[in-house]
Amino acid sequence: MIGILGKTLISASFVASLFAMIFYFVAANRDDYKILRIGNWLFTAKAVFLVAASGILMYLIFQHQFQYYYVFNYTSLDLTPRYLFSAFYGGQEGSFMLWILISAFLGFGLMKWARPPYKAPVLFFMTLTQVFLLSMLLGWDIFGLKLGASPFRTIAQEMPNAPFLQTNPDFVPTDGSGLNDLLKSPWMMIHPPILFVGFAMMTIPYCFAMAALWKQKYNEWVSPALPWTLTANVALLTAIFLGGYWAYVTLSFGGYWAWDPVENASLVPWLIGTAGIHTMIIQRKSAVAQKSSILFAILAYVAVVYETFLTRSGILGSSSVHSFVDLGLYNQLLAFMLVVTLVGLGLFFWRYKELPSPEKESKVLSREFMTVTGAMLLLILGLVIILGTSSPILGQLFVENPTPPEISFYNNWSMPIVMIMAIFTVLGQFLFWKKYDAESLASALINPLLVTSVVTIASIIIGDVRNLYYMAYLFCGYFAIFGNAWVLVRLAFQKPKLTGGSLTHIGFGLLLVGILASSAYNEPLVDQKTANYNAAVERGEVTDEQGFTVRQKEEMLVLNLNEPVLIDDRYMVTYEGYELDNSVRRGQQNYKIKFEPVNGGKAFYMQPEVYPMLTSSNQENIQWSVDPDVRTGLLSDIYLYVGGSSYVQEQNDRIAGTGSGMMQNAATQDQDTLNNDPAVQAINFTPGQTIDVGKFKIRFVNYSRADSTELPPNTTIGVRAEVELIHPASSRIFTIDPLFAVYSEDDQSYIYSPPSWVSEFDLEFQFTQIIPQDNSIELTVSGLEEEYEPDWVLIVADEKPFISIVWAGTFILMAGFSVSIFRHWGRERKKNTES
Amino acid sequence: MKPKLIIGIVAIVGFTSLLMYNFGESISTYTTFEGAADRSTAHIPGTWDEEKGAGFSMETKRFTFFMKDEDGVSRKVVYPKPKPNNFEDADQLVVIGEMRGDIFYANEMLMKCPSKYNDDPGKFVNASES
Repeated sequence: MIGILGKTLISASFVASLFAMIFYFVAANRDDYKILRIGNWLFTAKAVFLVAASGILMYLIFQHQFQYYYVFNYTSLDLTPRYLFSAFYGGQEGSFMLWILISAFLGFGLMKWARPPYKAPVLFFMTLTQVFLLSMLLGWDIFGLKLGASPFRTIAQEMPNAPFLQTNPDFVPTDGSGLNDLLKSPWMMIHPPILFVGFAMMTIPYCFAMAALWKQKYNEWVSPALPWTLTANVALLTAIFLGGYWAYVTLSFGGYWAWDPVENASLVPWLIGTAGIHTMIIQRKSAVAQKSSILFAILAYVAVVYETFLTRSGILGSSSVHSFVDLGLYNQLLAFMLVVTLVGLGLFFWRYKELPSPEKESKVLSREFMTVTGAMLLLILGLVIILGTSSPILGQLFVENPTPPEISFYNNWSMPIVMIMAIFTVLGQFLFWKKYDAESLASALINPLLVTSVVTIASIIIGDVRNLYYMAYLFCGYFAIFGNAWVLVRLAFQKPKLTGGSLTHIGFGLLLVGILASSAYNEPLVDQKTANYNAAVERGEVTDEQGFTVRQKEEMLVLNLNEPVLIDDRYMVTYEGYELDNSVRRGQQNYKIKFEPVNGGKAFYMQPEVYPMLTSSNQENIQWSVDPDVRTGLLSDIYLYVGGSSYVQEQNDRIAGTGSGMMQNAATQDQDTLNNDPAVQAINFTPGQTIDVGKFKIRFVNYSRADSTELPPNTTIGVRAEVELIHPASSRIFTIDPLFAVYSEDDQSYIYSPPSWVSEFDLEFQFTQIIPQDNSIELTVSGLEEEYEPDWVLIVADEKPFISIVWAGTFILMAGFSVSIFRHWGRERKKNTES
Repeated sequence: MKPKLIIGIVAIVGFTSLLMYNFGESISTYTTFEGAADRSTAHIPGTWDEEKGAGFSMETKRFTFFMKDEDGVSRKVVYPKPKPNNFEDADQLVVIGEMRGDIFYANEMLMKCPSKYNDDPGKFVNASES
């Protein structure tokens, strides 16, 4: 019932939005600000309906109303409130809702701050995008034509043919399918909202550019659009950073960037938006680049919509294997993209002839030329990445069923582009604040070049850089850092408010250096033997059993419990066991791995985790997931995860052994057949004695009293032994008290010694004898492996140099952009109070 | 026509053709085990052949399993890393590597999992990413 209300509210919001758009259109066309006010009221109504609908969705999630598909699919009873909250935008529909919500709030900002003549057309275009986004949530069915996917659809609507619904149409699941464990991370909670702030804000420069074209006022729009564009960029950058950081500390690929389409979806709008910022700034300064400012503002939002289309329509999966679960929004998303693109570019080319062009061309050594070239390079980089991401579509020009391009495609193209950019940042910054000719510029650059050269050479020597290309790249990166730092220092004393640009470019330079260092000089941490093996693989000397050359290096290492191994000639690494910890996730193991630097630094522990994935594990089949540990250092990070362990293998064997599970592990299956006849061992203990048996310690604490009710009739002796089974690897102690009794029946004496179980390790204990001579007892233990394996853990460890520089570069970029926001926003606010 | 314009057009055409050429080189087509025989790197989609099991060998430090490609041909696949998370869960696998004799050596493995949270349910994840 309440779901129908939600659906109705979304429909009402859509209709209000549609009418607001019409009124804004008329207001813009006639410059009639009375009609604009009606548009504003409709816009407000739209926002109110949407907020109410969001409140209902939130309520359904918190009330665990699993009859709703969205609630069922993205939440479960065990989720804590904060993850229930984030489940709101966990799915495709909810994330659209969040996007529109943010966009609606920005609309109020525009109502307050946008000035005529742009105000009405800006609001018109803003509302236009919201009409399209809202249509994705409608869930209307007009004569078989489906429009949108409602977040309020029920399970019965989603899966009408499900067998459990056939038998009972009112079926409500008792629990939902829950949230993927990998996503239960605070980083992933805040990442989507910030991303959508970026997407929604990137609409605003588009709206202003369109308003400028509409009203044929091509210069004044830049000032109000600039702070919005800058803020959109900071938001996108923050979202990219959060996504990358999450991937780094949560996933096991050990990096922050993989050129994945989803990652590119936020990078490309950022790049083109940044290009737009450059031309807008130079347009404000020198009344050039009017055309490119408008074009970039349009393209940045087109990139947002295009990448949304790519990642959400299922087209990335149109080739044979990528069959995305798709909400059937393909046509709507396509229409959205085409309208935004065609209206944008159409109006641009319609007005092209009358767009102002500079009277004379800029000299090469001018801030105008440098800034516009820098912006063009950013655009080119964005286009290259779009090309790569579009491989399922554009790749069909070359082959059928195209695969994504190799990672090297992205790296090979972006490297030279960013190198040129790095040089241009310095030239541009120098020329931005002062006029130079070739000669005076060269002399001004002598000092920064000197510092750059010294640092580059030092890095090459210290870092043992052998690749010429990398040397050139490093030089460019350092040049960006030191050249811009020169400008920054000079500016900081005179006009600290204007340091945004140079600060941003320093961040860019740091980012370049950090990216190279952390990706090209990433070292797997292995012992000497593996290192030798890898060196042999590199020389092509290793062949496998079939005579083929082995090309895959080995990057893992097995550590046995308490057996230190020297790694990379630098660390003594010892596996000190694991702890079972159910407090965070049931069945989680925290492994303790000690690193002792051999040159006498302070020892430290790495504590990677392994846990069963709750959403997909069950009694017959545990799916293990890993949580790496990252030790962050100033110069390098150590990144380590556990790829397997004896505990995990035992658990899998146990499940495989019950016969109900799938074949978990072919290799251990073989071992099982070998050990089918578990050894039986009889061991003698005196009270208080501890004996090492394989990977256990067994301690006979003392005798204890046996309760007479548990004893057979006619018992002459009845006693229990208190025994502790100690498992040092996990520091766990299991206490058992096997019974020993002698009873008589028909004048015969019998021994009664029922087995006690330790199911965890599949061990059986029997108290089989008392030897009065030396006051010892005999315990018979079955299930102990005769040739026991010590506890082991398989680790994958990497040393990643200068990841800290990547983060530092990102933060400085953010800081630089923020300085610029304050500067441009401060100026705009003044104008607002004046008008 | 101004010479500058001509240079500009030549530069754009040159850049674009080089880019497109390189792009064409760096993508390949999804294939099958049979089709992989004459390629140095092949992307093969398929599903895990559950009946033949899967296992990580401690001696060779390799994860081995059988995969059925789209023609239904089942081949042994060797992957030089621990078993990826979600392996059993994956609806579909894409192995990237080369065929040597009857064994496929995968350098990379992508898995399509029924995702719970993603914006695009069923996104492919890199095996080493999940």
